[in-house]
Amino acid sequence: MSAASTSLPAPYRPEESWGHKHRESLLLAIAIAVFAIYPFVDSWLGFGRLGSWGPMLIYVILAMGLNVVVGYAGLLDLGYAAFFAIGAYTMGFLTSPTSYFIKAGWVPEWMQHFWPALAFSWGTAAIAGILLGAPTLRLRGDYLAIVTLGFGEIVPNFFLNAEGITGGTAGINPIAMPTAVTLFGHRISFTPTDQRNWYWLILFIAVLSFFMIRRFYNSRLGRTWAAIREDEIAASSMGVDLVKTKLLAFAIGASFAGFAGSIYASYFQYVHPDNFQFSVSITILAMVILGGLGNIYGAIVGAILIGFFDRIFAEEMNRPMHWLGDTLGIDFLASHDLKQDKFLVFGLALVIMMLLRPEGLVPSSRRRAELHPETEDIAEAQNQTAYDVEHDEQQLSLGDEGR
Amino acid sequence: MHFNYELFLNYLIQGLANGALIALIALGYTIVYGIVELINFAHGEVFMMGAFLAFTIVAATGITSTDPLYQIVGVFLIALLGAMIFSAAINFSIDRVAYRRLRSAPRLAPLICAIGFSFILQQIAIYWKGPVSISPPPLIPSDYRTYNILTELFGLETKVRLKPIDVAVFVITIPLLLLLTWFIRSTRTGKAMRATAQDQQASALMGIDVNRTISTAFVIGGLLAGAAGMIALYYNNIARAQMGFRYGLFAFTAAVLGGIGNLSGAVLGGFLIGFIWAMSDGMVKEYIPSWGAQWTNSVIFGILVIIMVFRPSGLIGEHTTEKV
Amino acid sequence: MAKDSIAGLVAQLYNAKINRREFGKRAAAAGLSAGLIGQALAVHATRAQDVELPPAATIGQEGFAASSDTSKGTIKIYSSWPLTGTMELTGGDAVVAAQMAFDDFGNASGGYELVYEALDEGVAANNGGWEAGKVTENANKAINDAEAMVYMGTYNSGSGKIAIPILNQAGMAMISFANTYPGLTVAVEGATEEGEPEVYYPTGVRNYMRVCPADQIQGGAGARWAYEAQERRMAYVLDDNSLYGKGVATVFRNTFEELGGEILGAESYEKSLDNYQTLMTSIADKGPDIVYLGATVENNAAKILQDMRGVMGEEVIFLGSDGLNNQTFVDGAADAANGAWITFGGYTPDKLLELGGAGGDYVTRVTEKLGHSPDAYSVYSYETAVAVIQAIGRAGTNDRTAILDELFGTENFNSLLGFTWSFNENGDTDNSVIGLSQVIDNQIAFQEAIS
Repeated sequence: MSAASTSLPAPYRPEESWGHKHRESLLLAIAIAVFAIYPFVDSWLGFGRLGSWGPMLIYVILAMGLNVVVGYAGLLDLGYAAFFAIGAYTMGFLTSPTSYFIKAGWVPEWMQHFWPALAFSWGTAAIAGILLGAPTLRLRGDYLAIVTLGFGEIVPNFFLNAEGITGGTAGINPIAMPTAVTLFGHRISFTPTDQRNWYWLILFIAVLSFFMIRRFYNSRLGRTWAAIREDEIAASSMGVDLVKTKLLAFAIGASFAGFAGSIYASYFQYVHPDNFQFSVSITILAMVILGGLGNIYGAIVGAILIGFFDRIFAEEMNRPMHWLGDTLGIDFLASHDLKQDKFLVFGLALVIMMLLRPEGLVPSSRRRAELHPETEDIAEAQNQTAYDVEHDEQQLSLGDEGR
Repeated sequence: MHFNYELFLNYLIQGLANGALIALIALGYTIVYGIVELINFAHGEVFMMGAFLAFTIVAATGITSTDPLYQIVGVFLIALLGAMIFSAAINFSIDRVAYRRLRSAPRLAPLICAIGFSFILQQIAIYWKGPVSISPPPLIPSDYRTYNILTELFGLETKVRLKPIDVAVFVITIPLLLLLTWFIRSTRTGKAMRATAQDQQASALMGIDVNRTISTAFVIGGLLAGAAGMIALYYNNIARAQMGFRYGLFAFTAAVLGGIGNLSGAVLGGFLIGFIWAMSDGMVKEYIPSWGAQWTNSVIFGILVIIMVFRPSGLIGEHTTEKV
Repeated sequence: MAKDSIAGLVAQLYNAKINRREFGKRAAAAGLSAGLIGQALAVHATRAQDVELPPAATIGQEGFAASSDTSKGTIKIYSSWPLTGTMELTGGDAVVAAQMAFDDFGNASGGYELVYEALDEGVAANNGGWEAGKVTENANKAINDAEAMVYMGTYNSGSGKIAIPILNQAGMAMISFANTYPGLTVAVEGATEEGEPEVYYPTGVRNYMRVCPADQIQGGAGARWAYEAQERRMAYVLDDNSLYGKGVATVFRNTFEELGGEILGAESYEKSLDNYQTLMTSIADKGPDIVYLGATVENNAAKILQDMRGVMGEEVIFLGSDGLNNQTFVDGAADAANGAWITFGGYTPDKLLELGGAGGDYVTRVTEKLGHSPDAYSVYSYETAVAVIQAIGRAGTNDRTAILDELFGTENFNSLLGFTWSFNENGDTDNSVIGLSQVIDNQIAFQEAIS
């Protein structure tokens, strides 16, 4: 390998200024900073909307995780909420005083806290991903979608009906909150009145997830995902281990749902099977598709857009709309509730995006090339491919440090 | 434990009646899949819209069970026909508007589109009739709801109930199934459909209008779903915007069970699912005391997953390898 | 306006007049301005209108004088229950009733202007039923609003279970007009979970009250009526697999067995199915003489009754819990509803009209406002709001703890039902009236008080 790469001409590298090279990092730092100071803006402008942004950030984590499975590896998962449920229930089982497992004495004391349980949920969801993934790997895309859908229906149904263990319809509550810490003389606690601390905690986990997922994507694994997504057979004949690659996609995607689930459980202090219905899976899918399959920034943008519509926009626009309806004497406007349009909007988002812009609002470059073959400049594409391959090989020999 | 034959027969009748409904919906899935290899996820909602239109027609005529019989039957047939045409029109339009433009797109694109339509149709139904369960106008005299043909007509001493509505389900379903079989087997369009299912390119070369054939498949699926909608409306005597989702998934499971793309398989699958549903709701708890109706969903989706994973070609489907 | 400008931008983008980045910037600006205008309009729309000075109270605290003094500032009162879908009637009527109470007292008490805001915790995807995310969000909104002093809600016991601990940790009073699950306030052998109710009160201080009798009273009264008055001996018990439905069904079951009756079977049904014929056939086969259903209407309960009547004749009586005491259920089941018995913790509107007095007066007034006969629970929503207003009046300060203490200490409250009630140390009302109604000609008609 090393001998071969030395004989190749030096790969083409465009001239890049410092600003250009670090544009992504710069924008990222600004975005994180904006999110981090949002609580102050919120209270300064008197929005009182911090309680909506917490759950929205949880949805951002979910969208990033689903993007790994659907966007990177091209495996359509219609039962993603099942992993979300598994994560949430794991948190409940490990930390709730009413939990069956704690009462039975199976959970060691050190485990009954937020942080160890968070890590454990992450692992449990990943294992669940492997368990679901393993038997379904040889299925083709649409069959796989249906199997995951079935799985997504069975899991909440099981949690609902296996009363003895899961509390059934009573759900599990209360659930442990992160213990208060003292940082620079400030006591940071996580009760429901500490909305800001919760917000920052969720933001921290979301940012952590973001870097982890980006790292995966830029690694060799990320490129094998793209390879199997684009052509499974070709990838397989090039030596990509299909089983391992797909299983890892499932496991990694699911593991972030486990993260999201366990924070969700702790934040809401409650888990119930109804929170993990099919509509949740579709909502997350709509986020990823709206934003742009295969692009982590797309997933984030999609999650924020849909979350914003769902939790803030529809609610805030109701009153002016009712007022307008009253003033103009239009009954429909005066009495209509925009929040009820949620699923119409999600459905439309799916259809319109698929028809007009299947690569999403913030497309990934690989994906766009795939979906719009007609616009591709053949010569350039060939150059690009050659560059990519060499570039990758270089990196492999350099110890896979990412792009 | 003593095996209760009468009870079992009751479940069998109810299971088969439910199964007939599911079979009608399953056919829509299987016909479309057979030709374009698309899981038409919105099909359950197409069925639901059929039921809603039938409701509207019956309510608009104002005919109730107290009117003369010929009027009741007339309204029933008009509503049935209306529901069939309406559902077919929806299915056809969705194909024209969306699926047709995605024929050459990656396979997941039309599936995601179909999921989108499923949500849109459900929401439209909620605007139309509200999210509440609605009871259709009483077209069938209430005595007939509990009338037992076996004891009251034939004078048999039995606890087995065979109600007129159960018979009506078969009276409508079986001719439709026979008609469909004849259509696919013997007409030109039917042959074109089979050819297209085999090989689209070759069919096109042979002079078959592939797009028209595909549209026909959607129309036929819609017609059957509309009929199922009308029957479900009066068999269940209740309709709601969410009914399409559950029935749709059960029907899809039926189609998979029988081998998706296989017409007789879908019918068999439909009856099987109806039967399993009835057994899980009623019979199993005679033997497993902790069993209850709340497990039915898990059982049916469990079957779906197991069949998909271990025998994706279905119970009577042939084993085919994926086209590359 | 913003829409036009965005459409213009899109056109520019397509005509390649501006590049994509420019488009993004301008679209964001247009969206932001639209949002700000929306905010401004929203403020405009909620401004309270002036009301004439109300008379002294004839309900609640004896001789409580309403005042229009608002010199000390504003107090906000939030309410949270589902308002749409199958809950549109029940939830909507409750909001109108609560608002009527605030209007009756001039939207002022204790020197403060009272601002009432009704939050919705239901989602369409759930048939209009509550969703945990919404419940938490609403509760968090209330506790993080410095002007908010009292939280009225919830309707479903399952959502109450989530909201109580959140409000408890903020020391805010929560008062429900419809939660009936016993475990929220007391431990009842066999009907509540281990650790209840303490798990809901992390601070150890009780902050939750309810003005309707809980299920240990309702389920028990139903069972006694079935056993003694109707001489039923063999019951089949069904529930909708919800916290409330299971709870009330369990109490019925236990009481019925204690009395000497036989329970032929008990199970939960799956609410997403559209057909329960087989389930009902299997129940009919066991030969019960009464079927008890603990459920709320959004969980497909009407279909259960329909399918029951498909296989069981009039000789088997149907007894439902208070979650079914509404017209939505009766309309959903259509003809099959006739003859069904339904219990309710209190008096239904038709009985209140018959009783006359303050209760009758209330029903007349609210009917006029709504344009239809009110939901049975709306009377409790009205009383809840009155109790809150008067507690704020007694406290005379905008301190959450002081108002909680006053509210918890409510006693000898002159009820619209024609008697007085007080809260006990658990926050439960000592009102234990259970009314029994029957559906006659597709209308719920009060029959008798069975407790």
